[in-house]
Amino acid sequence: MKRGRLFVILALVLLGVVVLFLLPGGESAEFDVVEEFATHPLIHLPSIGPVDLSVNKAVVYLWITFGVVCVLAFFINRGVKPVPGRFQFAMETLYELARDSIVGSVMKSGRETWFPYVAGVFFFVLISNLVGLVPLPFAEHWSLGFYAATANLYVTLSLALCTFVFTHYAGVRKNGAVAYVRGWAPASAPPVLRQLIWVIHAVSELFRVVSLSVRLFANMLAGHAILAVFFGMALLFQNYAAAALLQGGSVLIYLFELFVAFIQAFIFAILSGVYIGGALDQEH
Amino acid sequence: MDADSARLLAAGISMGVGSIGPALGLGMLISKALESIARQPEVSGDIRVNMFIGIGVTEAVALYAFVVALILIFVA
Repeated sequence: MKRGRLFVILALVLLGVVVLFLLPGGESAEFDVVEEFATHPLIHLPSIGPVDLSVNKAVVYLWITFGVVCVLAFFINRGVKPVPGRFQFAMETLYELARDSIVGSVMKSGRETWFPYVAGVFFFVLISNLVGLVPLPFAEHWSLGFYAATANLYVTLSLALCTFVFTHYAGVRKNGAVAYVRGWAPASAPPVLRQLIWVIHAVSELFRVVSLSVRLFANMLAGHAILAVFFGMALLFQNYAAAALLQGGSVLIYLFELFVAFIQAFIFAILSGVYIGGALDQEH
Repeated sequence: MDADSARLLAAGISMGVGSIGPALGLGMLISKALESIARQPEVSGDIRVNMFIGIGVTEAVALYAFVVALILIFVA
């Protein structure tokens, strides 16, 4: 376009930005990031001993994840055509990802036995992370808010404990309890060193529960905290230009969180596969 | 300096110093993965899968520092 017209357009845009900057913006409000993650009981139920059975925000999100997984499982097999439509293509891509990249590439033995668990945990964590990016009205004061079930340490700890139990169950069932536990240290090492290596390996096996759960938990928690801060900052400055800039930043952070949701589900599943496969093939 | 300010300062230092190592590690890991993909493009799928595993494990260390910072701010 001509230079004169370009200058006029730029001058108008600059004027618009200055006006937006100087206009009195709307109202500010209090918002507390910590409240987003507090799990207050929504329906009080009695506790059995130290276990409180009340229905929580995390429990409701787990139910929602379960519902979405069931609906997805119901619709995945309906109307399967040789030339796939969009939904079938997406589901087939995820299935091939689970079958080839997750189970096929890290587990040498036990692929057929453990594919349901590893692919199941991949889909569950993926859908739980994605549900956490949809604003739903289960916050304290029933406004729309973002929360992921996996942003709760108890939920991810439960999933990591499942992987832990299955790892050692698979190892013990294949190798026998004593041989499996003795196989944590290589037989070709000298005696004292062998005990030391065994202790270190045992500690690292216990630490895997912590690392698996904390990785997923902290990723989701940090992501949602950043989302809450960005979306809240757009309202904090009471200024339309700042709000416009921050809304743009919020959209970018939201897209990054979408990416992180996929990656964390993939990493959780693939590490579960690595641990179970490692317990199955102990004699390299 | 009283205990409260020391606690918050420690949380900041934990997150700051605790992300130096993982950041360096991630840079080295991804650069090696890119070099290998450039050398042998036909195995880029395998390399990419293993790179993501490495990224997940390395980033977890930064997240341990984050969890320590959270514990210092909200629980201690």
